Amino acid sequence: MDVVAVLREGLFGSLSSVFDIAKVVIPLMIAMQIAKDYRVLDYLSKFMKPFTNFLGMSKESGFPLMVGLVFGLAYGAGVIVQSAKDGNLTRRDMVLLSVFLASCHAVFEDVLIFVAIGANGWLILSARILAGILVTYAVSRRLDGKEPYEEFLPQADQ
Amino acid sequence: MLLQSIKQGFRNGIDTTIMLGKIIVPVYFVVTFLHHTPVIDFVAQSFEPLMSVFNLPGESAMILVMGNLLSLYSGVGAIQALSLNSFEITLLAMMLNFSHSLFIETAVATRLNVSGTKIMALRVGLMLASGLIFGTLAGGVLQRWM
Repeated sequence: MDVVAVLREGLFGSLSSVFDIAKVVIPLMIAMQIAKDYRVLDYLSKFMKPFTNFLGMSKESGFPLMVGLVFGLAYGAGVIVQSAKDGNLTRRDMVLLSVFLASCHAVFEDVLIFVAIGANGWLILSARILAGILVTYAVSRRLDGKEPYEEFLPQADQ
Repeated sequence: MLLQSIKQGFRNGIDTTIMLGKIIVPVYFVVTFLHHTPVIDFVAQSFEPLMSVFNLPGESAMILVMGNLLSLYSGVGAIQALSLNSFEITLLAMMLNFSHSLFIETAVATRLNVSGTKIMALRVGLMLASGLIFGTLAGGVLQRWM
């Protein structure tokens, strides 16, 4: 094994990957910061009502759902915890939001970093959103008529 | 205000790139090194029967393991270090999109007072389901199309 050749391959290969990703991540972060500062999601979540309705959530779930979808699980969870403290979310909303966001979060970032290295982003994005909707819809139907949703509460793992 | 947002966004972008670089560069080095040793052939042969179900080469098992145990970005580093075609990259990217960073993200999910085991099972299940649908079933068509 030629150690120098391997090191050179590692160095150039890894730096060019990071550079490819920087070309995607920097514009994305600028767009997300503008969206955050101009409260674009506050505005967009007003149009989420048919969607949250379909998934069996209250309309107050629209904003945390958008935040998680765009900015990621950590931000989404933060907003969910805060909305729950303010009394805007029911237990059912929290379970459904967790299920949706577990399957589908930070979609732009997660998809675009793979587009940067040669994946087909549309296929991944549509599969991810579709899966999120299907799974959440299925859980939502299962929860109909059950009250405290014990089934989805933590049991053995805590 | 807009200029301020752009500056802040640019700074966040640089920070994120550095954070990603710290993960991608070492993983890339390790995988490149392994690529030149018999270890990769051993991994490839051992996982061949499993990964061929998804129409993927055996060594790509390493990508799924790294992405799930470490983070999505280590998966990116590992994909880049192995030479894969665009179908394989897309399928692995999709499987990793459903299930990655299991320890960290499950910990976040449990803050919402839901069962971590169930959330983890859901994500791994979606990863396998997407592999079966887009790799096993649609693999032939997608390979020709991409």
